[in-house]
Amino acid sequence: MIQNLIDGVLTGSYISLGAIGLTLVMHILRFANFSHAELLSLGAYAALVCDALVSALVPVFAVKLAPLSLTGALIVAIFVSMVFTGLSALVIDRLVFKRVREKGQELSMVFASFGMALIIRNVIGLVFGLSPELYSKDIAFAMILSRDPLILVKPDQIFVLVAALVLMFLLHLILSRTTFGYSLRAVAENPSLAQVNGVNLQRTIMAVWLIGGGLAAVAGIFYGLSHQLIPVMGRDLVLPIFAATIVGGIGSVYGAVLGGFIVGIAGNLALVVLPSGYTPSVPFLLIIVVLILRPHGLFGEARA
Amino acid sequence: MSMTKKLGAGFGLALSVTMMSGAAYAQDCTTKIGAVLPTSVDWGRPIAETAQFAVDQVNAAGGAAGCQIEMVLRDTQVDPKVGVDAAKALVDLEGVNVLLGAVSSGVSMPILTSVTVPGGVMQMSCCSSSTAFTTLAEEGKTNGLWFRTFATTGVQSAVGAKVAQDKGYKTIAVLYKNDDWGQDMARQIAADFAAVGVEVTTSVAINDGQPSYRAEVTEALSTQPEALYLALYPAEGTAAVREWISLGGTQNMIMANALKSDEFRDNVGLQYLGNALGTDTASPRADSADAFRAAYVERFESEPNGPGLANSYDATMIALLAMEAAGKDASGAEIAAAVARVTDPDGTAVSADTAGFTSAKEILAGGGTVMFQGATGNVRFDGNGDVSAPAVVWSFSESGIEEVEFLSLDDVDAFIASLQ
Repeated sequence: MIQNLIDGVLTGSYISLGAIGLTLVMHILRFANFSHAELLSLGAYAALVCDALVSALVPVFAVKLAPLSLTGALIVAIFVSMVFTGLSALVIDRLVFKRVREKGQELSMVFASFGMALIIRNVIGLVFGLSPELYSKDIAFAMILSRDPLILVKPDQIFVLVAALVLMFLLHLILSRTTFGYSLRAVAENPSLAQVNGVNLQRTIMAVWLIGGGLAAVAGIFYGLSHQLIPVMGRDLVLPIFAATIVGGIGSVYGAVLGGFIVGIAGNLALVVLPSGYTPSVPFLLIIVVLILRPHGLFGEARA
Repeated sequence: MSMTKKLGAGFGLALSVTMMSGAAYAQDCTTKIGAVLPTSVDWGRPIAETAQFAVDQVNAAGGAAGCQIEMVLRDTQVDPKVGVDAAKALVDLEGVNVLLGAVSSGVSMPILTSVTVPGGVMQMSCCSSSTAFTTLAEEGKTNGLWFRTFATTGVQSAVGAKVAQDKGYKTIAVLYKNDDWGQDMARQIAADFAAVGVEVTTSVAINDGQPSYRAEVTEALSTQPEALYLALYPAEGTAAVREWISLGGTQNMIMANALKSDEFRDNVGLQYLGNALGTDTASPRADSADAFRAAYVERFESEPNGPGLANSYDATMIALLAMEAAGKDASGAEIAAAVARVTDPDGTAVSADTAGFTSAKEILAGGGTVMFQGATGNVRFDGNGDVSAPAVVWSFSESGIEEVEFLSLDDVDAFIASLQ
C-alpha cells in the first residue's frame, strides 16, 4: 500500500510534466492536441541519439553518476532534446496546425493532431525499429528503504521526482513573476483583448509550443529512464496525460501537476482494488468521476 | 464382323469386372473426402499439397476401404464464414464422411460446432491449437468426431511445471499476457503447478500498451515467490522483467516459448537470465519423422519447413487408415471410432508410406490393430482427440538460444499422465 503510493508519486512526476505542456496548448490554442504525447517519444528518442553521440565524442561523460544509471552525456542530451523537441513542436505548428487553425474549425484541429500523432509515431518506428530501446542496458537496482513493510525505491526515480519538481517550480516563477507570464495568461484569457494591450500573439504561441515541447521532452526522457523507449510509448501515455489534464482542469498548470500525481497514484493503487486485467480502465474512471463532480476539473474555470 | 468381336471382348471385360467387384481390392469406386484449408494464403497451400501427397500414397496402395480416394479441396481464406460455407458444401453436396481442416482454431471451431458434429462427420485438423476444443470435448459436445495432430498449449504448460519441479521451486508467481493465449497459459500452468505441489502465490495479468508495469510487478513481488513464471511477449516481457529484477525479484524464471527471442535477451541482459529456463514444443527425433522428411524432399524438392506440414500429413494418413479400418460405407462416427485401432500403442508398427499402408490393410483385415508411426512420431490421441508433442527446455546463451533438455513424446506423455 505504502509502496503503491510511493510508486504513484514517482510515476506521477513524468505524467505531470507531460500534462503541463498539454494543458497550456489546450488552453491557449483551444484544441485537444492528441499528438502531444508523441512529443514525449520524439524527445526521448532525440535524447537517445544525442546521448550516444556525446558518449562517443567525450568518453568522460559516458561514466555513470552512481548510484544513478544516469550519465553526464544523458544530462547534456536532456537539454539538447528539450530545445530540439520545442523547435520540432514549433515546426509542426507552422507546417500543419497553423494552416488548419486559419482555415478549419476546432474539430479539424483535433483530426489534424490525430494524423500528426500517427505520422510521428510511425516515423520513429521506421527510423529506430519497433523493438524497445534503453538508455542503459544495465539494470539499476532499487534501494530498500524499509524491510517491513517492504518499501523499494530506485535512485533514478528519486532523481526524476526532484528534477520534475524543480522544473515545475521554475515554470511557476516564470508564470507568476514575469511580464511574459502575464502576457501568456492574458492571451489564454482573451486573445483579442491581449493583442489590443500590446501582447504579441504570434510570439506567445511560439513560446507555448517551446515550453510545451521542452517539458514533453523531459517527460519522455524520464519515462525512458524509468522504463524503456518504444515507438508506441506516445500511444501508451496519451491517456494518462489527457486524464491528468482533464482532472486538473484545462488551462491550469497547477491542476496539471496535481492531476498527474492523482493519475499516477490511482494507477498504482488500482491493483489493490481491481483485478489486474482491469487496471487500464482507471484513467477513464477518473475522468468520468471528475467530469461528473467538477465539470471543469479541479482547478479549471468555466469560460465562454 | 469385327464389330461383333469387339462387342464380345467388351462384354467379357465387363463380366470380369463385375466378378471382381466382390473382391477386397476392387478399384471401380471412388470415395470422396473433404479438405477445408486456407489455400489462398502462401503458407496454406503447402499444407494442402502435403495432404494430397498422403492421399496419392494411399491410392498407390490401392486406396482405402476398397475404393480410390478423391480429396475435394476447398479454400477457407482463413475466414470462419468462408470455412463454414465450404465445409457445408462438402458435407451436404459431396457427401463426405471425413473432413480435414481447418488450420486456424477460429475457423475449425465453427465448422466443428455447426457442420461436422451436427452432420456426424469426422473432422481431423492438422493445425488448431486452442484448448477450447479440449473443453468442448470434455463437455461431450464433439461426439468423439474431433481430432487434431497439433499439440495444444497444454504440453508447454506441463513442461513448465516439470521444470519447476526439477528445480525444486516451492512457490512461484505468474505474470501472463492478458489475451486468449496468456489467459489460457495462466489457467493451465496454475493447474499443472498445483499438480506437482508448487504453490502459485499470485497470478497477475499484464495488459498490452501500459506505460508502466510497476504496480503489477510490485503486486507479484509482495508475495515473495521463489521463482517467476512468464507467459508474456517480448515487448511487455522486457519492461516487466527489468522492473522485476531492479526491484530485487528472484532471477529464477521459467518462460513460455513467446519469450524465445534475442531482443528479449539483449534488452534484459544475459547476466540476469542465467537462471531463466524456457519451454517449447519440438519436432520429434524419430526415424519416422526423418523418413517423412526424406519422402517430402523427394516429392516436392524442398525441405518440409513450413508450419503444420508434418501434422497435415499425419492427419490425412490417420484419417485414411481409420477409413480402411472402419470398412466400406462406414459413417463418420464409425470412422472416428476406428481411429483408436490405427493409433494403438500396442498395435503393430506401420510406416508412413505406401508400403506401410499396404501392410496396415492386411493387419486390419485380419482384425488386428496398428500403431501409425508418422511424420510427427507415434501419434496417439487422448480421449479429447488431442495429441501430445515432444518438448524442449531451453536457456539463453552468448550465441543465442541453447537446448538444455529434450523430452521425447513418451517423456512428455508420461509426465502429463502423472499430473492427472
